[in-house]
Amino acid sequence: MNLKPGHKHPLTQIMGEVNSIFAELGFVFADGPELEEIRYNFDLLNVPKDHPSRDMQDTFYIEGKPDNVLRTHTSPVQVRYMENHQPPIRIIVPGKVFRNEATDATHEAQFYQLEGLMVDKNVSLGHLKGTLEFFFSRFFGGKTEIRLRPSFFPFVEPGVEVDMRLTGDDAPEKLRGRWIEIMGAGMVHPNVLKNAGIDPTIYQGFAFGMGMDRLAMMKYGVDDVRLFYTGDLRVVNQF
Amino acid sequence: MKVSYNWLNKYFDGKLPEAEAVADAFTFHAWEIEDIEKVGNDTLLDVKVLPDKAMWALSHRGIAKDLSVILNIPLAKDALANKVSLGAASTIGIVLETDNCRRFVAAHITGVKVGPSPEWLKTALETIGQRSINNIVDASNYVMFDLGQPSHAFDARHIGAEGFKVRHARDGEKLTGLDGIEYTFLQTDTVIARNDTDEILSIAGLKGGQHSGISDDTTDVIVEVANWDPVTTRRTGQRLKLRTDASSRYENGVVPEMVPYGLSTVIDLILEIAGGEVTSYSEVVNTTTVLGQVNVSLTKINNVLGLSLTTDEVSTILERFGWQYRANNEEFLITPPFERTDLVIGEDVIEEIGRIYGYQHITAVVPDPVPLLDINKRFYYSEVVRDSLIAFGFSEIFTSSFRANDEIKIANALASDKGYLRSSLKDNLKEALQKNAPNADLLGIRQIQIFEIGTVFNSSGESLMLSIGVQSPSGYKAKSDEPIITEALQSLGEQLGHMVQEKSEGGIVEINLGTLIDQLPSVSNYQNFKQPSDVTYRPFSSYPAIVRDIAMWVSGEEDETNIVSILKDTAGPLCVRTTLFDRFEKDGLTSYAFRLVFQSTDRTLTDNEVNSVMDNVYESVRERNWEVR
Repeated sequence: MNLKPGHKHPLTQIMGEVNSIFAELGFVFADGPELEEIRYNFDLLNVPKDHPSRDMQDTFYIEGKPDNVLRTHTSPVQVRYMENHQPPIRIIVPGKVFRNEATDATHEAQFYQLEGLMVDKNVSLGHLKGTLEFFFSRFFGGKTEIRLRPSFFPFVEPGVEVDMRLTGDDAPEKLRGRWIEIMGAGMVHPNVLKNAGIDPTIYQGFAFGMGMDRLAMMKYGVDDVRLFYTGDLRVVNQF
Repeated sequence: MKVSYNWLNKYFDGKLPEAEAVADAFTFHAWEIEDIEKVGNDTLLDVKVLPDKAMWALSHRGIAKDLSVILNIPLAKDALANKVSLGAASTIGIVLETDNCRRFVAAHITGVKVGPSPEWLKTALETIGQRSINNIVDASNYVMFDLGQPSHAFDARHIGAEGFKVRHARDGEKLTGLDGIEYTFLQTDTVIARNDTDEILSIAGLKGGQHSGISDDTTDVIVEVANWDPVTTRRTGQRLKLRTDASSRYENGVVPEMVPYGLSTVIDLILEIAGGEVTSYSEVVNTTTVLGQVNVSLTKINNVLGLSLTTDEVSTILERFGWQYRANNEEFLITPPFERTDLVIGEDVIEEIGRIYGYQHITAVVPDPVPLLDINKRFYYSEVVRDSLIAFGFSEIFTSSFRANDEIKIANALASDKGYLRSSLKDNLKEALQKNAPNADLLGIRQIQIFEIGTVFNSSGESLMLSIGVQSPSGYKAKSDEPIITEALQSLGEQLGHMVQEKSEGGIVEINLGTLIDQLPSVSNYQNFKQPSDVTYRPFSSYPAIVRDIAMWVSGEEDETNIVSILKDTAGPLCVRTTLFDRFEKDGLTSYAFRLVFQSTDRTLTDNEVNSVMDNVYESVRERNWEVR
């Protein structure tokens, strides 16, 4: 037996930290299947069949299982969770997702996403901003500013791109002072609430999704996402 | 979409602020600018038109319109501002046999002179990356990029006296497109054909045919402007692997009501630059867009955006858009303009108000903390497993979910070695053991001990598995691997309060962790969270390492760390690891055995190179009167 303790994979370490920060605000760690039903991955998330918005994510399909895909995002868990819970809802969904795209230093066909969802009577984009500022300040250190830009994702309306900027002496030097595009987010589309059995005339909420690999790369200065999946201890044992 | 700054500026009588300011306005109020570059005396903006706005914004007019709202500068001209009337008609035959055609209009222009386009038109098209072909084709293209309405010009000689028939193709029918490629159709595809001979002229919404196009000696043209069903256009395009500027506009749902504006603009431009006169036209309207009104309250607007706008502020923004609306008791009833089928529910309008007002005005509010309602059992116990195994010297790895061969096949795999989903973790783990084995010394560990927690897939579904593996240096394997795993599993079972029955084989064991966790009691709190590592990752060398051992007797008082630091100093930067692997005492002396690992970041080291470094190490050891064994 090795006398020294082994090492926890950096992505698991990140997952633990993410969970602990969001748990402080009462966000529950939810999960769902990686081999997902198409209706959860697309239809119930307001991504209709034969609509160009399905092109936004390159999808792996399964032979002999026409109703399944490898989930392209963790958003299906939003619907799965809301089907079984009424608001107030606060969840995070860290989990593996798959995209059928060529791999390079910043793209993997499999990676980890972190989804967030908060639904209640008066949840606004202001709460999205506040939640993310809270999270990033704790995660990276320093003070975080969040900037929203208009964007589109079928399952939110309004949809936004989120940029963040870390300031203050506690912020990591390599990230300090510049705006970094970090995730997509928005207010949950009323159709998604409705599809999941929640009355959109009473409730509303925000949702966000970001790459956990990206968080790990930024935090640890890893320059190639593929290193996380090689099983190489020359990587893992540094952490 | 590639957008010319000069082209946009025509909509503002040249009053736009400079291109960078325009790009910023878009970035924070509309959509991303993916690229901005100088082209001649113009600036080209690559505008990432969002899919929900693409039915009206894949056009210079649409983008100019949005810019006019953002910057609060009125449009100097707007082709959509007034209803167009096409005048008296109609002698061109149009037979529509399918609902995939939502609107179809054709105009016969006689006496045109085909030739090169005027410079301004050539420049406009070339700036946005289009090739200038001739004045007729260019006019049609220009209007597509200007208004977002595609059109097509046929040489009238190839149409015949009975006009057009829009019909389903027959299986196996073919057409050579303007691009010279031969396309073969299915019954589900829609084509435009000659009404008299039934011969296919073009692929609906996608591409014109080579044979019926404009040539240098064309004098009479028939301009066709139509609107096609988004879904069937998309399906045909996907099957034919054909996506054109026209089809992307139909796919995104440009409204049929754009057709008359498109036709009137194309005709005006053709008459202006190629001469001729309109002798007849015909129109068939199959589908009309039904636009509802959108109702949204001030409370809802503020509630969603997290702002405190007043009725006046909202009204001002609606007026900047130029939308018809009624405000009553803080309720707004908005009638969207005909081209904007993206405005359906209150949230659609709220987004428009929010982005124009500016998201930077939203104040961040951290939600009040609430108690955690649920503990994720799988995550909780997975962490227990990790901590238990890590304490036993195991490191956690992640491997690919894809395998070259397995049970569940991916229909559209990235590569042949990634064609299936893994049905177990142990094959990946075995490969990882072998891959890591040569690096044990480099890593300063006796044997490779790894585990993975991950999802596997088979015909009955997916399962969360745990696989644990050990690989000792060759030779010792059989003796040491199994006991390490047995011991680790024993300890894991104690931690979980549930003994693990699985036995390892060949140094690897795989356990259905999901099933195991299901049998464990629920939990009410996460364990104390351990701060993650705060290291900065250092890239590792891909060159092989060379190992040398040194053993020595030293006097009992000598400090181990001092010995290590002397070894490191003399071994120099090529020595990347110094591990103590044996130590015992005898007769007041202590025997130390160290393993030194040498590796370069930029080359393969030679034995000679390392030997000469070791000579220095021996030398310095002897200088201190330590006896090399």
